[in-house]
Amino acid sequence: MQDTGKNIIIAGVGGQGILLFSNLLSKYYMKLGYELKISDVIGLGQRGGGVESHFRYSTKPVLSPFIKAGDVDYLLSFEQTETLRYLHCLKEDGIVFSSTFELTTSSVNTRLEKDMPESKTELIKQSGKKTFIIDPEENKSPDFDISKMMNIVMLAIYAEFRGYSHEEMMQIVRESVPEKFVAGNLKAYEKGISIARAELTDI
Amino acid sequence: MKMMNGNEAVARGAFEAGVKVASGFPGTPSTEVMDYTQQRYPEIYCEWSTNEKVGLEVAIGASFAGYRSLAVMKTVGLHVAADALGGAAGSQINGGLVLVVGDDVGRIAGDDYNDVRHYGNMFNIPVLEPSDSQEAKDLMIRAFEISEEYSTPVILKITSVICKTTSAVAIDDNITYKVNCRQKYKVSFSKVIMTTMMMNAKGSEHPKLTKCFNDFPAHMRQLAADSNDFDINKLELNGKKIGVITAGTPYFYTKEVLPDASILKLGMVMPLPEKLIRQLAEHVEKLYVIEDGHDIMEKNIKDLGVKVIGKELFPKFPDMMRFTPDIIEEKLVPDAPKRTLMEGIPFRLPVSCAGCSHLFISQILRNHKIKAAADVTCGLIGCFPHMESYSLQKCMGSSIALAHGYNVATDHKEKFVGMIGDGGFWATGINGLMNLIFNDSQSTTIIVDNSCLAMTGGQHVASSEFGFNYKPENKLEIAKVCEAIGVKDIVTVDAYEFENLEKAILNAVKSETNSVVIVQKPCVTKFKLPKGDAYSIDQELCTQCRKCINIGCLAIESKKGTDGKVEIVINEDLCVGCGLCSTACKFDAINS
Ligand SMILES: Cc1ncc(C[n+]2csc(CCOP(=O)(O)OP(=O)(O)O)c2C)c(N)n1
Ligand code: SF4
Ligand code: SF4
Ligand code: SF4
Repeated sequence: MQDTGKNIIIAGVGGQGILLFSNLLSKYYMKLGYELKISDVIGLGQRGGGVESHFRYSTKPVLSPFIKAGDVDYLLSFEQTETLRYLHCLKEDGIVFSSTFELTTSSVNTRLEKDMPESKTELIKQSGKKTFIIDPEENKSPDFDISKMMNIVMLAIYAEFRGYSHEEMMQIVRESVPEKFVAGNLKAYEKGISIARAELTDI
Repeated sequence: MKMMNGNEAVARGAFEAGVKVASGFPGTPSTEVMDYTQQRYPEIYCEWSTNEKVGLEVAIGASFAGYRSLAVMKTVGLHVAADALGGAAGSQINGGLVLVVGDDVGRIAGDDYNDVRHYGNMFNIPVLEPSDSQEAKDLMIRAFEISEEYSTPVILKITSVICKTTSAVAIDDNITYKVNCRQKYKVSFSKVIMTTMMMNAKGSEHPKLTKCFNDFPAHMRQLAADSNDFDINKLELNGKKIGVITAGTPYFYTKEVLPDASILKLGMVMPLPEKLIRQLAEHVEKLYVIEDGHDIMEKNIKDLGVKVIGKELFPKFPDMMRFTPDIIEEKLVPDAPKRTLMEGIPFRLPVSCAGCSHLFISQILRNHKIKAAADVTCGLIGCFPHMESYSLQKCMGSSIALAHGYNVATDHKEKFVGMIGDGGFWATGINGLMNLIFNDSQSTTIIVDNSCLAMTGGQHVASSEFGFNYKPENKLEIAKVCEAIGVKDIVTVDAYEFENLEKAILNAVKSETNSVVIVQKPCVTKFKLPKGDAYSIDQELCTQCRKCINIGCLAIESKKGTDGKVEIVINEDLCVGCGLCSTACKFDAINS
C-alpha cells in the first residue's frame, strides 16, 4: 500500500541539530511529492532548553501544524528526558527511536526538583511501544563526533527503517551541509546504516 | 513551490508588494521577517531602529512620502510604539503602511501573553491574520492594498506558530521588484495631520476645518461592509450541528478535529463581516468561536448581537497556554480518548551560554547581596530561582528607572542597582539615565556591552561595529554618551577580569554620586569567541556543594553514572575556559 503520510515528533535539546534534521527529511519528502508542514517550537533564546519539531507529510494537504496527542507515528528523540515528555503522544502502534543521551535539566542540577528515581532508558523500554534505543557512547567513532552528529546517524537509521534510498538521502546531505562538514556527515550516515542493520531486526 | 516559514513568507510578500522601507525592532517570534527581507531583497531599505516607536515613526514618514512601508515588531513592542500608531490611525495614508506584529501565543518565547488585536479595536484599524505561510505572503500584499484603498494603517498579526511553521508557498520567479510613489504628501494642515481636526469644541464644524477631517470611521464602515465579499473571508457551509468562526492556525485545528463543521474562516479578523456571520449563525444549531489569544473576536461578535460560545468552553490565559487541536477535541468530540503526560519529568529552565558575561555580573551581585533590577536581556536568567541575583525585572529598558524609583523612595539609604543590556540602554534605558541625572539621583547602573541584542539572536545596536547601515564613524560610544549626559562616575571593565569587575561594581555601589559600570565582552555565542582551555573538577576534592552549578553556566552539570552515583562535572565541549566557576569553589576543586 502506498504511504499516504505520517506524523513525526522530533525532540531534543538546543544544539543537537534538530532543525537540520527536519530540514533534510523535508527535502526527501518534497522530492517524493508529499505535502508538508513542519512546526519548530523553540523556547527561550538561551541554551539548554527543549526543542520540539512537529513534522507531518501527507498525500493530502496537511491541516494542523501541531500533531494531536495520540496521532504520532514516530517519535525521534535525541535526549531521553525529552523522549519521556512525548511518549503519551504516540499512537497505539507508534514507534520510538531514542538516544540514551541525557542532559540533566537545570532544575535537577540546581536541586529545584528531584530527578526521577527510575532509569529513563528503562521507562522508555517499558512504555508498551516498540522502541529502538541508540547509545551514542557505544557507537563512538574516531571518524566523526557522534555527540554532534547524532542527527545524521538518526537520519540513516530512520531511512533504513523506512526502506528509503540511502543514496538519495546522502545526496541531500551533500547538497545541504557546508562543504567542509560533508565527509564527517557521510561517515556518520554510514555509521547509522550499520547500527540500523545490526539492530533494527528487533522491531 | 518553495518551503518557507511564516517569517520568510511575509518578507517575500513585502518584496512582491514593492515595499520601499522596512523598519522596526527585534522580538521573538517575528525578528526573522526583517532578517529575510534584508538578506534576500536588497532593493528594500532596511533598518533596525533604536526601538519600536522610532521604527514605526520611520515607517509612517516613509508612507507619508508616498511609498509602501512596513514596521515589524513583537506585540510588547507595539506597546512601546502605540503612541505612534495612535497618531497614524485615522489619518490619511499616502503609501501603504503595514505593521507586522508577532504575538507570542502560548508564551512559547516566554513573554507577556498579549494580543495585538486589542489595538485594532482601540484605534479602529483593520487586522489581518494568516493561517499558513502561503497566506502570510498573500495577506502581506493584501494588507498594503487595504491600507491604500481604505486609507488606514493595517496590522498583519502573525504568531509564534505561524512564524515557526514551514509549509509550501507558490512563488512566481518572474515577479520583479516594482516600487512606486502612490501619492505624495501635500504641504498643508490637512488630512495627514492626525485626527485632531475633529475637535470637541464649538465652531469646529466650520467647513474650513471639516474639509480637513479624514472621515476614518466611514472608511472602516465601508471596509466592514465590503469584507462580506472579500475572498480572504471564507464561509464553508457543511453540517448544521456545529458552526465555527475562526482565524489563523486555529482554523486548521478546527478543520482537522471537526471535519463536518461549517466554518467561517476569517483572513481579516477586524472589522468583521457581519453578513457572513449571520449567515453561518442561521445555518447551524450551535455556533462557536475558536481563536488563539484573548477573547476578542468573541466579544466583537457578541457586540453584533450574535450568540456564540467561546471562552466559557475554551478558557483563556492563564488557564490555557497554547491552543492546540487537542483542546478542541477534548471539548467538542464526544468520547475523545484522554492522554496524559508521564508524571515527574523534570522541567528545563533555560541556562546561559558557557562564558556569558552576564554570569560574572550575577555572581558578583549575589556574592555581595547587592539588590538589583535586571532588564529584558539574556541576563534575566539571573532572576530565576536557581540564581536569584536579581529581585526585580520588568519591561525592556526599564531597569535604570526602576532602580531610581526604589532609591528615591528609600531616601537613597539602600542602593538599588539597575543592570541593562546595550540594546535596552539604547532602546529606552537612556531616558531613564537622563532622568535620574537631572532629578539628582545617586543610582548605579551596570551596562552590559556585548555589542548586540543577544537574546533575540545578536542583532546590531547603535554601539555595535556591524549592522545593515553600519559606518565606523557613526558608531555611538556608550561611555561618551554617559559622560555627555552628566554621569559623574564611569568605569569600563572587561567582564572576564573578575577582581576588577568586582571592585568596579562595589565602588560604584558605594559611590556617593550616580555611577555607571560598563561591562565589556562580546556575546560569546554571537561572535564565536575563541575558546580557552577547558576547566575540570577534581572529584577527590569536590564536596558536591553545588556552588559552581548555581553560577548558571550551561557547561556544569550534575551527572548520574550507571552505578547511580552523582558527580558534578564540566562538559569540556561546552566549557570556554572563562574561569568563573573556579572563583565559586571554596574547595579548590576546579582547575584548568
Ligand atoms: C519592548 C520590547 N521589545 C523587544 C523585546 C524583545 N527582546 C527581548 S530581549 C531583547 C534584546 C536585549 O538585548 P540587550 O539589551 O542588548 O541585552 P542582551 O540580551 O544582549 O544581554 C529584545 C529585543 C522585548 N522583550 N520588549
Ligand atoms: S547569547 Fe550571548 S549574551 Fe546571551 S546567554 Fe549566550 S553568551 Fe550570554
Ligand atoms: S563548587 Fe567545588 S566543591 Fe562545590 S560542587 Fe562545585 S566543584 Fe564541587
Ligand atoms: S570555566 Fe567554568 S564557568 Fe567558564 S565556561 Fe568553563 S565551566 Fe563554565
